[in-house]
Amino acid sequence: MRRLLAACLATCLALPAWAQSHDTLTVDLPGDVATMDPQIQWDTESYSVYRNIFDNLVTRDGSGKIIPQVATDWHYANDTSVVFNLRTDITFHDGSKLTPEDVVFSVRRITNPAFKSPQLSQFDQIVSAEVTGPAQVTLHTKSPYPVLLAQLVKLSIIPKAYVEKVGDTEFNQHVIGSGPFRLASWQRGVQTNLVANDSYWRGKPAFKTVTFRAVPDTATRIADLKTGRADITRGLSPDDATDLKSAKGLDVRAVATERVAYLFVNTLFGPTKDKRVRQAIAMAVDRDTIISALQQGFAKPTSVVLSPVDFGYDPTIKPWPYDPDAARKLIKEAGAEGATIPFLTSPAYDRRLNEAVQQMLADVGLKVVISVVDQPTYLKRRLGTPEEASALSQGRWSCGCLDADGVIFPLFRSGSVWSKFADPAFDAEVDAARATLDEQVRLAHYHKAFEILHDEVPGVGLFQDEAIYLVKHDIAWTPTPDEAFFVYSMHYTD
Amino acid sequence: MNKSLLLLFYRKEALAFFLSRAGQALLATFGVLTIVFFIMRLSGDPTLLLVPEGASAAQIAELRHQLGFDQPLAVQYLAYLHDMARFDFGESLVQRAPVWGIVTERLPYTVALAAGALVVALGVGIPAGIVMAVARGSWVERALAGVVLAGQSLPTFWSGILLILLFGVVLGWLPTSGVDGFSSVIMPSLALGAVAMSTFARMTRIAVLDELQRDYVNAARARGLSRWQAVRRHVLRNAAIPVVTIAALEIGNLLAGAVIVESVFAWPGLGQLAIQSIQSRDFLVVQAVVLFISLVYVAANLVADLAYAAIDPRIRAGG
Repeated sequence: MRRLLAACLATCLALPAWAQSHDTLTVDLPGDVATMDPQIQWDTESYSVYRNIFDNLVTRDGSGKIIPQVATDWHYANDTSVVFNLRTDITFHDGSKLTPEDVVFSVRRITNPAFKSPQLSQFDQIVSAEVTGPAQVTLHTKSPYPVLLAQLVKLSIIPKAYVEKVGDTEFNQHVIGSGPFRLASWQRGVQTNLVANDSYWRGKPAFKTVTFRAVPDTATRIADLKTGRADITRGLSPDDATDLKSAKGLDVRAVATERVAYLFVNTLFGPTKDKRVRQAIAMAVDRDTIISALQQGFAKPTSVVLSPVDFGYDPTIKPWPYDPDAARKLIKEAGAEGATIPFLTSPAYDRRLNEAVQQMLADVGLKVVISVVDQPTYLKRRLGTPEEASALSQGRWSCGCLDADGVIFPLFRSGSVWSKFADPAFDAEVDAARATLDEQVRLAHYHKAFEILHDEVPGVGLFQDEAIYLVKHDIAWTPTPDEAFFVYSMHYTD
Repeated sequence: MNKSLLLLFYRKEALAFFLSRAGQALLATFGVLTIVFFIMRLSGDPTLLLVPEGASAAQIAELRHQLGFDQPLAVQYLAYLHDMARFDFGESLVQRAPVWGIVTERLPYTVALAAGALVVALGVGIPAGIVMAVARGSWVERALAGVVLAGQSLPTFWSGILLILLFGVVLGWLPTSGVDGFSSVIMPSLALGAVAMSTFARMTRIAVLDELQRDYVNAARARGLSRWQAVRRHVLRNAAIPVVTIAALEIGNLLAGAVIVESVFAWPGLGQLAIQSIQSRDFLVVQAVVLFISLVYVAANLVADLAYAAIDPRIRAGG
């Protein structure tokens, strides 16, 4: 009891720490860091924080191109083996050198099923990792795996000796990496404090300290920016962004991301089993109105279920035109006038978009019945049998790999839990695109795959979602499509 | 029956009363444990929320197996009861840290907030109630009734944002969010305490009005005491009985209200933890938080019963 009282008193009397200077950066995140260990959770909040503490084998530049980081260069020894040469001048925050053993350990740890990493499915194509030189490692994959590098962008390199010495639990609490910032303190649910790693191999960061705070309410985060308690925040809605466009000293910065908003259409059960009904739905949905009215312009139209920044996006495939008359005609032909179309959704999805689609489909003679369930129930049904999955639902998809393989394969390949589409020709194309490392050949397969998707309509691409940040005007930083949040690339302009 | 026998009889009665209430409390706690366990599982296990988009059916099944959610519900429930009996709250599925540590880290924040809210509720509510009773029918009562009504009616997520805008953004007097010393607890306490304040004001007003009509007040006035003196010396003690019992129960309501207030003000207490854990289906953390809050409810009820008996001599005498 006495300890509790002391803790309460300490909570109330802690010194105010909201004096801002150009040496410090305060970031308001919508949630708390789940784990500091980069090999466990990869939710946006945890990812935003720990990626500043660790280096990765490879990374992406502002344009999304994969570039070296811990690896200086790489080459394919054969279709299933990639050799990485490593830098030799990187040290962890405890002063120990980053070695090939650390890289191999990082790969083996996350791919070990006993470690129970939820990220395992992103790396389980890697069958082994070995040290093949004083500054070299080789990774072997089950089969030719063109997305390997894109997945490795998400693999943080952790210090083998330290992790083995302190154990997984302690490592999660007091992580050590080789990145531009080191962990100073982590108060769960409150904030995470990072301090600059002055001996960082890419040079000293612009900020001496960085604080990430967990502030769930958007209005409160905006108030924090307005009063100078925070310098940058994310997760603004298009409405918030529109209201804040003239806010003094603050910039709304948006970037079109790899997250694509789409309408899932069940091809295996219910009224949408008829291709004509699906094509009619594609022609009844008015993307432009959705983007201008609901997204306030913070979105870009997409013709397929893939973001234009992803590898495999094909601008030659044109979207179905908005043509309610043609849609009505097709529905009449299919004998589906007045058909009831179940629409499954959860509070995680924009209610207004659901209702807009409901209205648009009502205009062409379909009766959409929206049922809202909680997110786990939604996932259970959506990933369940075609009978459980409802005829329509809204979805947002991002694989974090900027590649069509991470989007249309899980969404539409027969046998995948998300797919309610079975087309052998489509399966053959996406399988072939997955089995070769030749980019031109892959693009050709994806072209054919998207042609099939366009005609069969197992999904309707709506728009490329934008990530909206509120940033102090004098902080130089451009958000990137992969929503990476690297403080190292930020600095004050004066 | 002589005096010592009477005392013994009273003690036995009191012990039986206490034991029966404690037994009921235990039963209520068991009921809560069971309900939380099954409600959390009704809508599916958290595996689907934990795997990345694009995981295959086999990968999902593998993780489900590793987490033990493929076991029959009855087996999971027995294992859960076994753990609870040993006060083993397990390890968070999402945070990979002991649940006990996660909950106790957040506890001081919620206790500090609830204490602040109780100070607001009692400090404003009781004087307001007394004034409303004594100044019945005047403009003062009507003005205070307006404040009480506002406290009762304004939803905390809205009043919280209004407080932030006024005191944080416009006036710049108080920090808009987070935990930065004493000044940070003021706005959340006001927002959280407002509803309880209204309850106390209304209860106190009714209790004082009720007492003011008693003969002993007329007698006190006849002895020459002013209305306020009579209130201070005689009425307040008697009017305190219902108010004290309500105070104990309001602590439970404050914990419930903390869920919203903590989210608005980014106050890192149990309420915010509960929301985060429910969203990420972190079963074990949700169970521990709900268990804790229900224990506070049960304990508060027990204390209310005992306090009621302690304050009112008629109850003590078995009357």
